[in-house]
Amino acid sequence: MTRDVHLAVTEHFARYGVDEALIGPALAAATAHGADHAELFFQHSESTSIGLSDRIVNRVHTSVDLGVGVRVVVGDQVGYAYTEDLTLEHVLRAARTAAEIARGSGASAPVRVAGAVEVPDFYPLSRSWGDVELSERIPLVRAWEQAAFDADARVRKVQIHLSDGESRVLVARADGRRVADLRPMTSAWVSVNVEDGGRAEHGSYNVAGRTGLELYDPGRQQRLVDLAVDRAVKALDAGSAPAGELPVVMAAGSSGILLHEAIGHGMEADFNRKGTSIFADKMGRSVAHDTVTVVDDATLPGSRGALNVDDEGNATERTVLVDHGTMASYLHDEISARHYGVAPTGSGRRQSFRHPVLPRMRATYMEAGPHDPADIIASVKHGVYCETFANGQVQIGGGDFAFYVRFGYLIEDGRLTRPIKDVNLVGNGPKVLAAIDMVGNDLVIDEGGWTCGKDGQGVPVSQGMPTVRVSKLSVGGGR
Amino acid sequence: MNDAILDLAERVVGKVLELGADEVSVGVSEGSHTDITRRDGKVEQASESSTRRLGLSLLLDDKWSTHSSSDLRPEALDHFLERAVAATRFLEPDAARRLPPADLCGRGASEASLDHFDPAWKAFTPADRATLAQQLEDAVLARRDDDFISATVSASDGWGRHVQVTSHGFADATEGAWYALSAGLTLSDADGRRPEGHASYAARYRTDLPDIGRIADEAVERAQEAKGAGPIASGKYPMLLLNRVAGRILGTLSGPLSGYNLHHGQSCLAGKRGLRIGSDVLTILDDPTIPRGLASTPWDGDLMAAVPRTVVEGGVLQTYYLSTYYARKLEEQPTTGERTNWIVPPGVRSWSEIASAFPRAILVTGFLGGNHNALTGDFSFGIRGRLLEHGVPTTPLSEMNVAGNTLQIFHQLVEAADDPWTYSATVAPTLVFEDVQFSGT
Repeated sequence: MTRDVHLAVTEHFARYGVDEALIGPALAAATAHGADHAELFFQHSESTSIGLSDRIVNRVHTSVDLGVGVRVVVGDQVGYAYTEDLTLEHVLRAARTAAEIARGSGASAPVRVAGAVEVPDFYPLSRSWGDVELSERIPLVRAWEQAAFDADARVRKVQIHLSDGESRVLVARADGRRVADLRPMTSAWVSVNVEDGGRAEHGSYNVAGRTGLELYDPGRQQRLVDLAVDRAVKALDAGSAPAGELPVVMAAGSSGILLHEAIGHGMEADFNRKGTSIFADKMGRSVAHDTVTVVDDATLPGSRGALNVDDEGNATERTVLVDHGTMASYLHDEISARHYGVAPTGSGRRQSFRHPVLPRMRATYMEAGPHDPADIIASVKHGVYCETFANGQVQIGGGDFAFYVRFGYLIEDGRLTRPIKDVNLVGNGPKVLAAIDMVGNDLVIDEGGWTCGKDGQGVPVSQGMPTVRVSKLSVGGGR
Repeated sequence: MNDAILDLAERVVGKVLELGADEVSVGVSEGSHTDITRRDGKVEQASESSTRRLGLSLLLDDKWSTHSSSDLRPEALDHFLERAVAATRFLEPDAARRLPPADLCGRGASEASLDHFDPAWKAFTPADRATLAQQLEDAVLARRDDDFISATVSASDGWGRHVQVTSHGFADATEGAWYALSAGLTLSDADGRRPEGHASYAARYRTDLPDIGRIADEAVERAQEAKGAGPIASGKYPMLLLNRVAGRILGTLSGPLSGYNLHHGQSCLAGKRGLRIGSDVLTILDDPTIPRGLASTPWDGDLMAAVPRTVVEGGVLQTYYLSTYYARKLEEQPTTGERTNWIVPPGVRSWSEIASAFPRAILVTGFLGGNHNALTGDFSFGIRGRLLEHGVPTTPLSEMNVAGNTLQIFHQLVEAADDPWTYSATVAPTLVFEDVQFSGT
């Protein structure tokens, strides 16, 4: 299968004139002044999205993106250029531009050592999205709409998006390595408005995966609709959270946003080699209770964060960031791996050929712990239970982070009581990591379509979490 | 006007009509972008690119679709257009979709009055960029102290032009350049934290950027004020919302004002046009014609002439953002679908003078995360800033939130300071609110 993918992608790009007759001179130009590393990142992406509102399937958008990014690395310095024109003239121009970074550096050009590299297949496709007709997508959307109206008499409006696409990438490195990948992606979003006795609210649910039409099995379709309606209906009765520092219980699943913000970004090695991460001097040190193990994993089959190979052409892996409370590894790209004298972790990612590589998360989650989730809730006398989330942010150096809770509950005397909504929670990464004092035995990898932003680049990620208790977080309620 | 991309746009309009479309709008953009980033005494990254992209909207039997591609090879484009038209046929008719009447389309401001293209940009050489970045880095490093860890600066600039052609006779182009400078530094703190400070500026003309010393000063000030930061007690405080971050709270009005949210029943401002939504102090003008304005534009997304309009005057809501599509859905007259430059008129006193009357107030200098519910108006944002005691900055603040509701917060707006921030599409002064809910300890 993997050999087939490599051949198929290579032959695909050959139809655009991308072959060794183009790659060879371009890499020669890129390394003309020397380089520690250089690569060409060819990408061809095609995507389709359809939308339903006002009870009609009334929108379709198609997109095609084709181009190559040329990167030349000297030490920790990067020259970058891209072009959407794959003719030799334009690719050479981009390569010469990127090569300027190395002028006068004295770096040695990489030695050509390898050929095509086989990669694993974490997202086997039974059928290409290119072979799925719009006429097959529309009935799905229609069915979800009807199911939403049928689910609750209070549903007034339904909106739906269904998006899919495939990206073909070919990484041609100056050391001779050639790596190809075919990356599918699909996501669906259902949003409903509900009204009840003059009150109105809305709710939504989404699912996503690096896979094909098979993502939408009957169970997932049911969840997509039911949870959208459920969230809207529950929001009708929800009020403001309290204000101040409180114990917080994070529900299993998308609570992984806490890990993503509190520790994930701080473990990206570029911040650490520059000394700008609050975790820069904590490798090998205890940072959490020994029930806490945090992983960033590119190998979860079909997950949104899955990657067969990273965008530098390196093998991906399951990277343990925190091992039973002890900081174990950063997330490395080529530059940081060379800086620290370790192997890359396959974390070099970019939004597209228009962007240089950065160390990024893939699927970040906490391993299951020993506690019964019911016991975790029962342990809190007065606190907040966070169930669904919207977005987050972190200050890498200061360590302060925030995540926005769409819906949750107040915890009173160990029980979930009054529903709450729309509240921002803030904390400090190392402090909060140390404050996770109960870890549930119910790890859930969230199936939603999360996108991580860094330096203006968005990449698809996954996240997961068992139920956990944080002894103290600042809760931004009190309206 | 660039004939090559105009010719391409006209060819595509003709081709899509040939394929059966009833109405077509095609935009082609081209541009270039350069960035030099320096860190700790050397170039960390140098990037340069030129780009071109085509966007297409088409209407066929009341079915509407949009498409975009960067693969502009003739044979690829033909295939792309055929697929675009074929995909549209699968849709269901939506009678509200169509191009706006031709007599509504056009320019609100001439290219000359928008003044988006700095002639000096053409003469801005790679050496000039490198020098600018070096000067900014030198300015930041000259201000470092014993607590310094790292500094990163960048100098960016770019140029772009866009042509738009429709099947009903609209054909026009717009062109502009831009420059941006940013500086950030990381310091060490006693508790192991590494607080950061950033300052970023953008302008259409290079000479409109501030002095690099000012940028360096601001980055250092932001980092220094973050040292030793922490939360104070939860409660209600007067809030001074610093001019450069005022857009975050003002922005909670944007979503509810949009035709999308009004039509879909997700706006807390539905039915409020002509009614009071804030204090007398709240006035917001939307002006797409400001010379060199960062969000100035000759036409909107529907190609209707972009003209100034009053959004809120003396606390009373004047208008919604209604594209032609949502105006038809709502059976209203269209205004425009997009917000451009928002101008909040300044007051006459400095913020420190205003704050001196408050024994304790919170100066918000930045935000961290948070979000807003357009339907209920509820918002909750993380903040950083300073406690002000009789107007004097004292305790640095972090790990705190501000919470409120769009329908309430602007009634608490008591004064605008005299310091409009012009380096943003939201040109607002520091805004002063009373009795705002903050959560900390």
